[in-house]
Amino acid sequence: MFTPMLTRLGLYTPPSVRDRVRAGMHLHAVLGAIPHLVRLDEEAAATARQMGKVALEFRVFDGPRSVLAFDGGKATLSREGHGNVGLFFPSCDALNRMFDGEKVTPIPFRAFPLHLKALQLLPKLTDRLTTFLKPPAGMLDDRDFLAKHVELSLLVGMMATRDLVDYDPKVVRIAHDLPSGTVVFEVVGGPQAHVKIDHGVIEAGAGALPDPSTTVTIKTLDLALGLIQGTVDTFAANGSGDIRASGSLALVDEYFNLFDRVGLYLK
Amino acid sequence: MALYKFDKSNELFQRATAVIPSGISGNKNPAFAVPGSFPYYAVRGEGCRYWDPDGNEYIDYLAGYGPIVLGYNDPVVDAAADVQRKLGTAFNHPTPRAVELAEKLVGMIPLIDWCAFGKNGTDVTAYAVQTAREHTQRRKILKAHGAYHGSQSWCRHGLGGIIDTDFEHVHDFIWNDATSVEDYFKKYPGDVAGVIITPYHHPAFANQVMPKPGFLQDLRRICDKYEAALILDDVRAGFRLDIKGSHEYFDFKPDMTCYCKAMANGYAISAACGTNKYKPAASKVFFTGTYYTSAVEQAASLACLDELQKPETLTHMMAMGTMLQTGLKKAAEDRGLQVTISGPPTLPFMTFTNETNFRRSQLFGGEAAKRGVLLHPHHNWFIMRSHTPADIQKTLDVADDCFKLVKKEFGG
Repeated sequence: MFTPMLTRLGLYTPPSVRDRVRAGMHLHAVLGAIPHLVRLDEEAAATARQMGKVALEFRVFDGPRSVLAFDGGKATLSREGHGNVGLFFPSCDALNRMFDGEKVTPIPFRAFPLHLKALQLLPKLTDRLTTFLKPPAGMLDDRDFLAKHVELSLLVGMMATRDLVDYDPKVVRIAHDLPSGTVVFEVVGGPQAHVKIDHGVIEAGAGALPDPSTTVTIKTLDLALGLIQGTVDTFAANGSGDIRASGSLALVDEYFNLFDRVGLYLK
Repeated sequence: MALYKFDKSNELFQRATAVIPSGISGNKNPAFAVPGSFPYYAVRGEGCRYWDPDGNEYIDYLAGYGPIVLGYNDPVVDAAADVQRKLGTAFNHPTPRAVELAEKLVGMIPLIDWCAFGKNGTDVTAYAVQTAREHTQRRKILKAHGAYHGSQSWCRHGLGGIIDTDFEHVHDFIWNDATSVEDYFKKYPGDVAGVIITPYHHPAFANQVMPKPGFLQDLRRICDKYEAALILDDVRAGFRLDIKGSHEYFDFKPDMTCYCKAMANGYAISAACGTNKYKPAASKVFFTGTYYTSAVEQAASLACLDELQKPETLTHMMAMGTMLQTGLKKAAEDRGLQVTISGPPTLPFMTFTNETNFRRSQLFGGEAAKRGVLLHPHHNWFIMRSHTPADIQKTLDVADDCFKLVKKEFGG
């Protein structure tokens, strides 16, 4: 609440739009993949079970926040609320640098000894997530691994679109034009994911939804990989039948534009 | 009947994707129709029919997205174009055809005193907007939410190479809500240059909406009150409702009007027209393009407008459109389906009343295409002069088969 005044006095520089959007994506979309990682990967699930019942709060000065909660080997992420352990980052830039792999040490708060174990185990989970999101060479030859990589990457991309709508000025400007509805993405022989758009508010999740406004069927896992990596021309793929969209095409056309834009912020 | 296949269309499209972004750009990309159940390419046309690379024949209701108003290869229009083609087309200067066409439009359309020629609708809507800004020395342009006025970045709020400042001074009002228009004049006092509207609301992916009684006249009153320009984008509907322009059909008075699609039966030409009040400003806007003065299209337009001026032309097209609209409604109801028929008879459209996601429309449109009738699921249709009662009846027969399939698939 003091930042506008400090900014006016020249004592503080607010985060750039790029840093703000990236920080939101890191805390909401990348961390948001951990519940799905725990669902998909036994090694991650075992780590989550070891963490017990704990809610980790991530807070960035003049930036986003999120709460990653574990209970009984399952995980959830929310954009609001409080945790019983907190990690504070002095700036969006500091958070982003940590997610980019630099050594950045956040400031713990509300860190009771009871929950220190959870904090110690967190890097194990994030390392595992990194393995799936940025797989080492050769890993994608394993079809089971590829399926998980596609699902997690798809979910990260879809969850990240919400931060575009919230903070990317170019998208904020057109958010009111986004049609409302639901889109289900299904990869033949692979995962399903969905996104709900309700008057510019986006929520993404795993699995299908009944009676979606639009269904996007992607013919193969490899094609889905190309879509995620931004190497597939969606219009060309649609015409050639590699991607089939049925239902509200205006909705998915707009959404693909957003999805493509995530790549400007997250690699 | 054997259903159409599209193997050669697909082959061409595969080749295209290697050398053309998206294979086919814009609204003609297959993604906007029913990929796999629609032709991607055309080879030749005749009357209200065309043929695709697979040899499939279609009764067409998309008309090249509007320009084919008489029918493909109309002999009168093509003969006029041929005469000019032999004389030459892209000279250093306009030809007498430019003056003749301008005189014809000024004589034909009440209110207008001048016109300037472009190639596409986008050229002339952008020109009219610039003219309004020049005349008023103001920045803001108001348009109806969802309305399409061309592919230029000023009228497309979105991504894809568009930056905020492209549409910083373009604001959307609500169709049929004059208060939402006047609110902008109050919000930006002295800064609204003009209002651009289509004669009725014809967005893609939606039913068409006619103007409420008094709405267009209210816009005139508001523009007069605030000394702003009222621009009629008659690119799509122009000369299909009234040969004198759609403002005559709806009885209101714009300051400038834009025409394109029905002007020349498929030859690339558009026109921005206006009243004398806006002529000095129009002169100050640098409006040009390499082919803006090409004479073949102007000769074609002169001939096409002659054909459209024959009273029986529009009467026939209205009758064919009405036959299609009433026939589709009855056929759907007979199959226990609810459809919404919208738009005027010459630009009809149909959606299924109990859905918003177009799944029934896509099944209907795709199956109709496979049976030789092209009814786009997401974009309004166009009646041509060459549609005959027999064509409409054949269309209704195919539609009945497709309604049956929709009923079977969706139950209602």
